[in-house]
Amino acid sequence: MTATTLIHAEASPRRLLKALASQEALLAIAVIGLAIIVGLYNPRFLAMRNLSDVLLGNAYIAVAAVGMSMVIISGNIDISVGSLIGVLATVSGTLAVEGAPIIVTWLAPLVVGILVMAFQGAIIAYLRIPAIVVTLGMLSILKGGLIGVTGGKWITDLPDSFHLANIELFDAVPMPVFLMIVATIFAAWWMRYSAPGRTIYAVGGNAEAARLCGISPPRATVMVFALHGFFAGVAALLYATQLRVIQSTVPPNLELTIITASVVGGVSILGGVGTVIGSTLAAILIAEIASALVFTDVSPYWIRAVQGVLILITVIADILRRRRMARA
Amino acid sequence: MKLGLAIALMSATLLAGTAYAAEKRWDGADDLPVNPLACSAGEASAAPAAKPYDGGQPTNAPDKAGKPISLVDVPKLIGIGYFNATTKGMQDAAKALGNVAAKTDGPTEAKIDEQIKFIDNYITSGVDGILFAANDPVAIAPVLKKALSKGIHVVGYDANSTPNAREWFVNQAEFNGIAKAMIDSMANEAGEDKSFAIVTSTFTTPNQARWIAEMWAYAQKCHPKLKWLETVEAQEDNNLSFNQATTLINKYGDKLSGLFGMTSVATPASAEAVTKAKLCGKVAVVGLATPNAMKPYVNADCVKSVVLWNPVDLGYAATYVMRAVVDGKLKPGATSVEAGKLGKLNVVNGSEILLGAPFIFTKQNIKDFDF
Amino acid sequence: MSEIPLPQIAKRVAPWWLLRHETMLALILFVALIILGALNNRFLTLDNLLNQGRLTTEVGLIALPMTFIIITGGIDLSVGSIVGLCAILLGYSWKTFGFPLPLAIAFTLVVGATAGFFNGVGITRLRVPPLIMTIATLALYRGLAEGISQARSVRGYPEWFYFIGQSDLFGVPAQLWLLLIAIVVAGIALDRTTFGRTLYAIGNNETAARFSGLPVDRAKLIIYTLSGLMAGLSAVVLVSRVTTTRSDMGIGYELDVIATVVLGGTSIFGGVGTIWGTVVGLAMIQLLKNGLALTGVKGDATIVVIGTVLILSTLVASLLQRRRGV
Repeated sequence: MTATTLIHAEASPRRLLKALASQEALLAIAVIGLAIIVGLYNPRFLAMRNLSDVLLGNAYIAVAAVGMSMVIISGNIDISVGSLIGVLATVSGTLAVEGAPIIVTWLAPLVVGILVMAFQGAIIAYLRIPAIVVTLGMLSILKGGLIGVTGGKWITDLPDSFHLANIELFDAVPMPVFLMIVATIFAAWWMRYSAPGRTIYAVGGNAEAARLCGISPPRATVMVFALHGFFAGVAALLYATQLRVIQSTVPPNLELTIITASVVGGVSILGGVGTVIGSTLAAILIAEIASALVFTDVSPYWIRAVQGVLILITVIADILRRRRMARA
Repeated sequence: MKLGLAIALMSATLLAGTAYAAEKRWDGADDLPVNPLACSAGEASAAPAAKPYDGGQPTNAPDKAGKPISLVDVPKLIGIGYFNATTKGMQDAAKALGNVAAKTDGPTEAKIDEQIKFIDNYITSGVDGILFAANDPVAIAPVLKKALSKGIHVVGYDANSTPNAREWFVNQAEFNGIAKAMIDSMANEAGEDKSFAIVTSTFTTPNQARWIAEMWAYAQKCHPKLKWLETVEAQEDNNLSFNQATTLINKYGDKLSGLFGMTSVATPASAEAVTKAKLCGKVAVVGLATPNAMKPYVNADCVKSVVLWNPVDLGYAATYVMRAVVDGKLKPGATSVEAGKLGKLNVVNGSEILLGAPFIFTKQNIKDFDF
Repeated sequence: MSEIPLPQIAKRVAPWWLLRHETMLALILFVALIILGALNNRFLTLDNLLNQGRLTTEVGLIALPMTFIIITGGIDLSVGSIVGLCAILLGYSWKTFGFPLPLAIAFTLVVGATAGFFNGVGITRLRVPPLIMTIATLALYRGLAEGISQARSVRGYPEWFYFIGQSDLFGVPAQLWLLLIAIVVAGIALDRTTFGRTLYAIGNNETAARFSGLPVDRAKLIIYTLSGLMAGLSAVVLVSRVTTTRSDMGIGYELDVIATVVLGGTSIFGGVGTIWGTVVGLAMIQLLKNGLALTGVKGDATIVVIGTVLILSTLVASLLQRRRGV
């Protein structure tokens, strides 16, 4: 205990790094620890097939949480992402059924995602309306618009080649897991080492100070939202191409799941702190909890309550850890 | 140390949760009695004593017999395939009748308080009749009674309200009929002594809860060796349903021989999970679903039978029933009603009109349907 | 957020009150009412307006403490789940514990307040940011509602209980009286008491408020508890109106409530906002939905309009504020 305290008392940049690293360590240990505990109860949980299915089925949440984390770190929030993913999945699926080249069906959600989110970012940044207002409004607009246009008609008869999520790289790595890892590593690297990436932290930490340092906070905000739109596009693509039916509706409460992953991942809602590695680990942890509760025969009526308790414990453990660091 | 504490707490919570073992009996959460049908089709099930009419009546409804009427249809939610199909049936009926204008409007999520607001608004705006599919049978009753009290005719379909809050209810298929079709198909496809699990929307969705309760009762009575493993919730979301079905497959492995999908979302998602796990033929998928979503799996022989009524017919029948009520042709005590191309439909349970037996789609006939 | 003036200042400088967000919003609302009224003669009737009041009371009751919370720069996402939990416990304590119904109602309110208090403790003692704390309890409280109810509904309350949700008192829906009283009390508390001033001070600069010796933590604890209490009251009104309990009651209320409050001009960054603005926001959303529906606009198009109005009205208000050169 004393040894660690001493280390943390060192120069502040290193302390910050340590803090970030151990935030992710906490989640990683929780992910592994939970797997072991559940594995003791029901060894089938540890089967390779099950662990990879947990990742496969929830990779889209992790990818969307990467973008969401950037938005939150920059001091904003986005409530419209669930609706947007519903819209983008529908756009992609509709193009596929209409016979557009597959590459177009895959790129379209990314492009539309970037455009919609950059537009929202511009309203937030240049017209200076709080992000929660703009994205709350956009949630309604996208959702109502989607229902109005499609009437919720299911998209079926998708061509086989459309199913990006079913591709396995080198016959071993499923595409969703690959994209999740690449997105996380790329985003983490970019945010830590590139100049534009650092501006996200600067703007989220103190917009006024960032402006004085020559950073344009509005431009940074638009950039963050555009990137978030890109990741939402990737998430929508995984969401749309996993199954043979696209519902053309807004996935229920998806925005809350994504925000929860970001927040549990240690991204401070006050902006300026956090990493996307934490949010990806948190998305995995949340998915793992959901699966673990089925494996441990928790009464289905109580599953959500136990889930809530586990999320609360993770969050509070993180906060307590941070406070101890701050005190050290 | 804090971490250890957190993990200890986590495991304690898990164990505490485990203490609440899975429920022994599924009773549909509304404590209504279950009424399983006879096991074999040949065996005549004791016809229930004819119940007297138990619906409500509008007060001082204007006499619009033969005159044009405007109807509003407030389904559980708008923007999903199922209620698009019922809407299409209503439009078909309106066209066939010629003197009915029908409009569908409702909440964008299956929320009872939103649905109440929609019905309330249409009472204010003044319509001749309201068609509804209730998100909750009791919660919707006050607003429907208000409609009746203002002289508006009220007919339900798909999901009922308490009887005295509406005049008639068009029943797509009786709960015990669906339950029998589902359990018989499962016993037939998986085997009499095999184990199965269920993927449903939520435990509070009234129709799904009733079906599961009736399935439980019927399985106890007619297929006692079928083993009931567990039921999981998956909202009405494709990917969530897929994940839940996959989790069940991974959890039970060889023990799992069948999956029930209780919604038109859960069934194709369960079929996809079975396909992805390369267990077609080993894990039977039986469920309620619409044909278009199921065609790939039925054609690939992964799913043998899909249970459903025709939702287009359901909307069609509801509109005809409403017209008959307004015209005074369907009065309390009637035993049947004419419903256009559907012919004569029978009155059951006092104030319900039965669409017919549930339809079973198979590889042979599924290509004939497009919805 | 230096361009947003303190409400105190705006209030003292007479001509500017016209340009205040709430006033602008009230004018927009007024114009919308006239237009919708002209389009449909059933819209602007006393009956319809009072009925709309009945339907929006549940959201309104929660929007009042939410205004307090957002003024301090906080947020409470768990209110919808508290409504669900309280609704379930009302029925459960009455039916399973055999509490007499008045006691069950009191118990429900206590549970609501406790749920809010728990949020407050996490936020003030453990210093968990409000959004994180309440997003976690959003999942927890809903889960408890599901677990306790075992997906069962409780129905068949005594006739007198339905009075709150379904009857009229002096020609006005009974629950609307509750809302009106709550509005007056909340308005006075925010505008005329030290407590209210403390909330603005926290929202403007929490550290400064702390150093000025203001009871920051106590004030926060009070408002989150209040939020839970009002969510409990809202649950009682809702159960009385719809005559049954479901564990999914109140899902999504948090977004409706937050939309109402921010539409009413309360700044999500804290420090700015009034109860009067929230009331106008509440009326605006409900009457727009109602008016559009009566005019024949369908549900999906209505939510598009509501979303657009939310963004545009905030835009107009902020542009006007900026134009007066603050």
